[in-house]
Amino acid sequence: MEEFFQQLTNGLAVGGIYALIALGYTMVYGVLKLINFAHGDLFSTGAYLGLTILISFGLTDRLGPVAGVLLLALMVMGLLAIVGTMLERIAYRPLRESPRLSAVVSALGASIFLQNTLMFVYGARFQVYPHDILPDTALDLFGIDIPIVRMLILLASLVLMAALYLFIQKTRTGTAIRAVAIDQRAARLMGIDVNRVILIVFLVGPALGGVAGLMVGLLYGQINFTMGWIYGLKAFTAAILGGIGNIPGAMVGGVLLGVIEALGAAYISIAWKDAIAFFVLILILIVRPTGLLGERVAEKI
Amino acid sequence: MMTLCLITAGAEAADTIKIGLMGPLTGPWASEGQEMREVLNLLAADVNMAGGILNRKIEVVAEDDGGDPRTAALAAQKLITQGVIAVIGTYGSSVTEATQNIYNESRIIQVANGSTAVRLTEKGLRYFFRTCPRDDEQGRVAVHAIERLKYKRVAVLHDNTSFAKGLAEEVRGLLKNKSISIVFYDALTPGERDYTAILTKMKNARPDCVLFTGYYPEAGLLLRQKKERNWNVPFIGGDATNNPDLVKIAGKGAAQGFIFLSAPLPKDLPSKNARSFLHAFNNKYGHPPHSIYSVLAGDGFRVVMEAIKATGSTDADRIADILHTKIKDKNGLTGMITFNAKGDRAGEVYKVYQVDTQGRFILQK
Repeated sequence: MEEFFQQLTNGLAVGGIYALIALGYTMVYGVLKLINFAHGDLFSTGAYLGLTILISFGLTDRLGPVAGVLLLALMVMGLLAIVGTMLERIAYRPLRESPRLSAVVSALGASIFLQNTLMFVYGARFQVYPHDILPDTALDLFGIDIPIVRMLILLASLVLMAALYLFIQKTRTGTAIRAVAIDQRAARLMGIDVNRVILIVFLVGPALGGVAGLMVGLLYGQINFTMGWIYGLKAFTAAILGGIGNIPGAMVGGVLLGVIEALGAAYISIAWKDAIAFFVLILILIVRPTGLLGERVAEKI
Repeated sequence: MMTLCLITAGAEAADTIKIGLMGPLTGPWASEGQEMREVLNLLAADVNMAGGILNRKIEVVAEDDGGDPRTAALAAQKLITQGVIAVIGTYGSSVTEATQNIYNESRIIQVANGSTAVRLTEKGLRYFFRTCPRDDEQGRVAVHAIERLKYKRVAVLHDNTSFAKGLAEEVRGLLKNKSISIVFYDALTPGERDYTAILTKMKNARPDCVLFTGYYPEAGLLLRQKKERNWNVPFIGGDATNNPDLVKIAGKGAAQGFIFLSAPLPKDLPSKNARSFLHAFNNKYGHPPHSIYSVLAGDGFRVVMEAIKATGSTDADRIADILHTKIKDKNGLTGMITFNAKGDRAGEVYKVYQVDTQGRFILQK
């Protein structure tokens, strides 16, 4: 039983990060019906920019770890929001009226471009975050070792997701985003500025992805330019699991995927961990083709 | 005038003995390949300073294999058309494998410097040699280290790459007849960040030590995440964990005490010959060689020179014969160099290293 809870906490921390990245996929898909394949690379861009800012400004030395990391996270989110809107302007907006396949190819191209830019700027070797920023001790809770960093990371991703949920559900802009997701033409007829909504989506999604990159850097220490691929794939899976286009779905899907992976590794086989996760995905899609929370997209607002 | 130039150029070309270097000058292993070229250029300059061999100068012809089997096959063809008599290289086993038959059919000596896969020398190729050890030797040294440290319960973890899996299977086979039990045997997915699920599962098998046969990025993360959860089990790694970045990724505190197997690092080479070579290398390039595999490429070059000198010819059959039977090069940079009938280097090469509190790699006696 102890092992079960230990593995559960392992999976929750990983799942929180998957969920943050999955939100970017699902928000873009919601309004544009486009899979933003460059999203995983925006995530690694966040990790690299975070490292650069951290080292060049020495934020955590000047402000202490808590304020330093918070400010760092805000800066990374701001920068990634800029990168995200540029991506939309350059790679997606010119193709808005073209067949959907063109936009997908453009997304793949943007992914390759971002990845190689990172390699060109930072080099192909692994980059490493400083080790002494966050506490590296573990809390002993009823015989389960829970590293404090992991709890902080999980907490941070839950706070971000809650904030996003409130933003989408309670504000006028959030309502506009949901309206565009349901029917773009009707939303436009109701006087919603669709271009502005899309812009906001490309501000928020990449910002969350970027901050997830920063978290991965802080938590695991090691980053490299290809890591966006594997995280992007997992987060994309999480988005589909929860029902792509649905924001609470991405959160549920991400956390669930993390937990399935950890428990699959624990009780079946580590080498088959990914296969187990994808098998569960297939099972869920057979029973519920729209994903776990997929149908709620069509609700009335 | 034009014809005169051509004639002199032709005469000069016939005068040099061409030795090929096939190495990863670009691609993921570029640092290895670049250093291989530096080592060979340095050694060739030495030979030429001393008047060359058989009164002919040595010319090193370098071709890039990109760390990729397809590029390597083209590089091999190119080297052959340029008239090399022997080729040094290359680093990766699968890359070497793609070129073995090409050289063998053209009767060109090949001395690989980093390709440790067992099967390369099991094909009965007459002109193939290697200065690096084989993976099965590494398995034996790993088991020996486990026995000496008196560990009774071992967890074996690999990453499903052909190298790491091969080594893990080798160790499993060797442990079968001993009083050491394998309490855990599984593979992780390389390239991920979070290995806590695996660590938790391993911890429940209560091993005395963990043997990880994969590469340094994953080893670094495992060490770091193991420390995060206060698990103090000793870790032993294969030679793919031998990289200073391991300590960078894990952090000095988490890497301390990590044991790994490796061919000796250049700084630990014992012989006087090696020390003067390291000194000369440092003088010429401003830093010591980082990789033992580039030094092993140098040994390949040196032993081919010895063979040419001993036979007094550049005939591949005579060189291959003498390499197989007679050459006992005591002055090898990495120790005595002799080959067995298969073309494998005889004698043990692997050493045991441990990371100290400062993150340095310390050779264990």
